[in-house]
Amino acid sequence: MDIEVIRSYIPLYNEALLLTFKIGMLGILTAFIIGLSGAAALYFKVPVIGKILTAYIELFRNTPLLVQLFFIYFALPKLGIRISAQTCGIMGLGLIGGAYMIETMRSGLESIDIIQSESALSLGMSKGQVFWNIILPQAISISIPGIMANVIFLLKETSVFSTISLMDLMFTAKDLIGMYAKTIECLFLLVVYYLIMLLPVSILGSVVERRVRYAGFGD
Amino acid sequence: MKKNLLTKVVTVLSAATLGAVALTGCGSSNATAIADGQTAKAASPDSSVVYRTVDEIKDSGTINIGVFSDKSPFGYVDENGNYAGYDVYFAERIGQDLGVKINYVSTEAANRIEYLQTGKVDIILANFTVTEERAQEVDFALPYMNVALGVVSPSDAVLSSLDDVKAEDEIIVISGTTAETYLEKNYPDIKLQKYDAYAEAKTAFENGNAIAWANDNTEVIAFAIENEGFTVGIPSLGDADTIAPAVTKGNESLLTWLNEEIEAIGAENFFHADYEATLLDTYGADYENTLVVEGGKVQ
Repeated sequence: MDIEVIRSYIPLYNEALLLTFKIGMLGILTAFIIGLSGAAALYFKVPVIGKILTAYIELFRNTPLLVQLFFIYFALPKLGIRISAQTCGIMGLGLIGGAYMIETMRSGLESIDIIQSESALSLGMSKGQVFWNIILPQAISISIPGIMANVIFLLKETSVFSTISLMDLMFTAKDLIGMYAKTIECLFLLVVYYLIMLLPVSILGSVVERRVRYAGFGD
Repeated sequence: MKKNLLTKVVTVLSAATLGAVALTGCGSSNATAIADGQTAKAASPDSSVVYRTVDEIKDSGTINIGVFSDKSPFGYVDENGNYAGYDVYFAERIGQDLGVKINYVSTEAANRIEYLQTGKVDIILANFTVTEERAQEVDFALPYMNVALGVVSPSDAVLSSLDDVKAEDEIIVISGTTAETYLEKNYPDIKLQKYDAYAEAKTAFENGNAIAWANDNTEVIAFAIENEGFTVGIPSLGDADTIAPAVTKGNESLLTWLNEEIEAIGAENFFHADYEATLLDTYGADYENTLVVEGGKVQ
């Protein structure tokens, strides 16, 4: 392993890390918003939307992200819809992540005993108040492990972005190997950088989990 | 400030991981071999040789040849699912003359060197342009084709000089190709849009994701002939290079065999026959003498 080579590659990897992290975070934010609103719609059994959401979840959970990116990036332009590589990456992550997030949060929402909302309603609270103040906080706290697992899963999924010409960590490594054949140095840096990105998220996840563990009713 | 911090974190983590690798290395010789890479190979050639000699290949009855599966008409999979093309035509002959079966391994531009270094293939026959950088990592046999770089662009906005590229324009290249290295080196200001496979680069280019596509001129000429509405605005760029088979660094026996083979089949004008069988449909007869290198002798 050549330390000089590693040093000279670090700026390129920094750039890739920032890009990967940026797209990852925006994608996760999108996924979270889709997840929250989707789970709420399913929880309230909104008539038509429920069916559409189920179809969406099944479609995106049962096809690989790679296939979805191919479709958004290579097929849509043939139909006249042009989307930049970055937006495409964010969309891909947001859509696949959204499907997973809906399921995670829905199971959280459904785990809250119906007796709680019945009691709250009988006390005169509105449906909205019950959802925001009683059901949702508990559901989120229960879903946190699942949500954190989804977040890490989504950050790792960024490694297929090379297909759509985004210079993420994986592609930067592959590209440098292709040009200069310093395989060991490149792969070593790749592992280090994925750790730099994912370890803090992991640690943050367990901290959050510990903080919200006691949000449940009656525990 | 932020970048500096990041750099520090990387250095510390690198050092920590290096330490860990070194520690585990004491227990397992495998780990040190990987960590030390080239030096370990040089120091103990017997234990860490990844390549196979001609005799070993003959004994095993199969040779592994790395070819492209998506680079028509040089190496591609035809409608029947069989490998075909100019490179494959030559590969078939190698298998025949060695008296072994061929196991084709599909490769991408960026992993051709790795496949040789890790012994995944015995020979790379994937339109592999001979360059100095690559020659440090693998051994090239005698050439069998000429090549230069070329740039193709849409006919309604032909790019005829790289100096005309504006700051916001992007040019498509394929990761790990000579076009990429050339542009990175000589035109560092041009923004490159990189893809890791031919098929994806072509689709992106057809979709109009960039103003031009730079690649081997053989490839861009074929693209412009096969697809209407595209023109090769820059037919020749950079140095005239050659394409040759490559073997793992140090595999003398296979290298010698290949060189003798290329010289021997040159006597029967093998590569002209190859051209007529595989490239004639695409390029016509005009390019035959410019492209073909017979018997390893560049004109």
